[in-house]
Amino acid sequence: MNTRDNPDPAENRFKRSQELFARAAQVIPWGIYGHASPVASLPGAFPYYAEHAKGCLYWDVDGNEYIDYLCGYGPMVLGHQHPEVEEAAARQQRDALCLNHPGPVMVELAEKLVSLIEFSAWAVFGKNGSDMTAWAVQVAREHTKRRKILKVAEAYHGIAPAWTPGHGGLIEEDRVHIHDFIWNDLESFESCLKQHRGDVAAVIMTPFHHPAFKASQMPAPGFWPHIEAACRKEGIVLILDDIRAGFRLDLHGSHKVFGFEPDLICFCKAIANGHALSATLGRKELRVAASKVFLTGSFWNSAPAMAASLACLRVMEREDTVGAVRRSGESLMNGLVALGHEHGYEMMATGPPALPFPVFVQDPDLRRQQRFCGEVTRRGALFHPHHNWFLSAAHKPEHIEATLAMADEALALMKNEGI
Amino acid sequence: MSRAAPNPEVLSRLYLEAVLPCLADLSAQDPIARAIMGETRGSIALRILGGPQAVVSFDRGRIACSAAGPRPSVTLLFYTRSHLNAFFAGAKWALPLPIWGGWQIGLLNRFAKLAARLEAVLNGHEEVLSTAEGRRLYARLSLIAAGLGLAPLAAGDAEAISTLRMLPPGLAAFRIEGEPNSTVWFDLGADRRTSGWSNPPRRPDVNIVFGSLSLAYGAMRDEVDTMAAIGAGEMTIDGLIPLADGLNVVMERLRVYLQPEEML
Repeated sequence: MNTRDNPDPAENRFKRSQELFARAAQVIPWGIYGHASPVASLPGAFPYYAEHAKGCLYWDVDGNEYIDYLCGYGPMVLGHQHPEVEEAAARQQRDALCLNHPGPVMVELAEKLVSLIEFSAWAVFGKNGSDMTAWAVQVAREHTKRRKILKVAEAYHGIAPAWTPGHGGLIEEDRVHIHDFIWNDLESFESCLKQHRGDVAAVIMTPFHHPAFKASQMPAPGFWPHIEAACRKEGIVLILDDIRAGFRLDLHGSHKVFGFEPDLICFCKAIANGHALSATLGRKELRVAASKVFLTGSFWNSAPAMAASLACLRVMEREDTVGAVRRSGESLMNGLVALGHEHGYEMMATGPPALPFPVFVQDPDLRRQQRFCGEVTRRGALFHPHHNWFLSAAHKPEHIEATLAMADEALALMKNEGI
Repeated sequence: MSRAAPNPEVLSRLYLEAVLPCLADLSAQDPIARAIMGETRGSIALRILGGPQAVVSFDRGRIACSAAGPRPSVTLLFYTRSHLNAFFAGAKWALPLPIWGGWQIGLLNRFAKLAARLEAVLNGHEEVLSTAEGRRLYARLSLIAAGLGLAPLAAGDAEAISTLRMLPPGLAAFRIEGEPNSTVWFDLGADRRTSGWSNPPRRPDVNIVFGSLSLAYGAMRDEVDTMAAIGAGEMTIDGLIPLADGLNVVMERLRVYLQPEEML
């Protein structure tokens, strides 16, 4: 069943999703926890469980088909089931899935990444973004022998107690040495720096600001160079959390887009087109500190994800994925803003085109955004109302065109209902 | 998980502005409370020297609670906020000074019995929770106290203030489906930190609706997974979700203040 042919809101299109959720709620806290929780999306208007996906198309467990603008919340930069990546991973897995030792592919991947990220001299690997941000902070502290970490308020850097957006299980001591400043507010940054001068080990930031439930914010002119200069002057390690944006904005690291250089850079998501892998790369000067901070995990030497990553990077280089994704994102965002205007809504495309997040300018209670995303999702394109979206190389002009037709219908409906 | 110590000023305001007003709903919902009141008329002011007060008015089976009113039949004076807090916590030494109307023994006795009934309901005493009607009262009154408690917490609890600073402005309304007059709201703005138990003053920016009494009961007792309940459609949050999420954190602070042994 194609959702696009059947946008009847009265029909329960999520019967199987709901049945699964009812079972899950018996045995799993939240039913579905974390960012995929129905709480964060639109309960009742969004599928809960999915079955398969191919390219930029996506099918939930009830057989509803969607054009996927979440891409696994980022990893699927080439699209689902990319043949070259899957073949590389499968070939590696035929040899072994989880050996006692790393395989040659780990060395090859580290060499490849170090060659791509110009400032870096070394690389390490994990499985999740949180693994890497937590470890990078330790490296910064080891290198500087300082305690304090400065970060942007509302920025997401993973699930460590230092910055999880969750509320439970935290104690005051978890964040004693974590201090927030405001994105794009150099006065706030300087004030924070002044307050902790001499004890700041690291500044950790994402390349652009993408708080949940809010418009994304690009860096203001001069913002990144100022942060970089302050870190250099004060001997502070600058950590770029490029987990969400990495390889979508620039194959050589998102800092290249914004004209600065970090000391450590953390990748995950798009690094292996959906295979579980994360990485941190760093400057030569941090190599000794990195060697002193213990790092390991049960599956961290598993070779198939590394083989997938090598294949993914190879395809991205060969096919200018960054450019393709940007162009698709621009088409989608320009189209949405224009459609909004036609229907009398002021919409704003926020964030970079490859990871866009369009919002309604007059929507203080988010209901317009929620209704719009719900209506478009019902028609067959997964639009998350509260989290930035992701484009992939599999999104072609025909997908963007079909999506805009759905958005047109949704906006017309909203206009009719006076929303 | 919050362990920061309670602020005595906030605690006294919670008693006056969140707990005592529950007497109004108790009188409307609970036959036992109405039987205690009988046809009583009159009013009792609980006043802190140099500080706030609450006036509880009785009018033949109905109770209203306000911050001010015409000259009360009885005025009970507390020397300090700590004095009032100790009284509400049940300290025998903390009896207030009746500076007016101390001879109205009948009214005072009824008030004491009503307070004991409210304590039994809000603390979830076994005899209350053993019946469906008792559990209904518990859920309603706990939600009302929690909602009304947001304003005192917002005014003086350091953790609550810190949480609220991060939240978007807006009006949040909480209610239990199928329970009339159960809506409590909180309005957060640059210069607003107001709670109310009534129809909200304008369209709420976020509605938090417990789909059933049993869910509300479980949520108030911290016995249900509300996130799973939202996914299952048993609880709905529409609109400004971050405000609801943050207010939930602030409400958690009530547990620090109003532990059972510290209630009425």
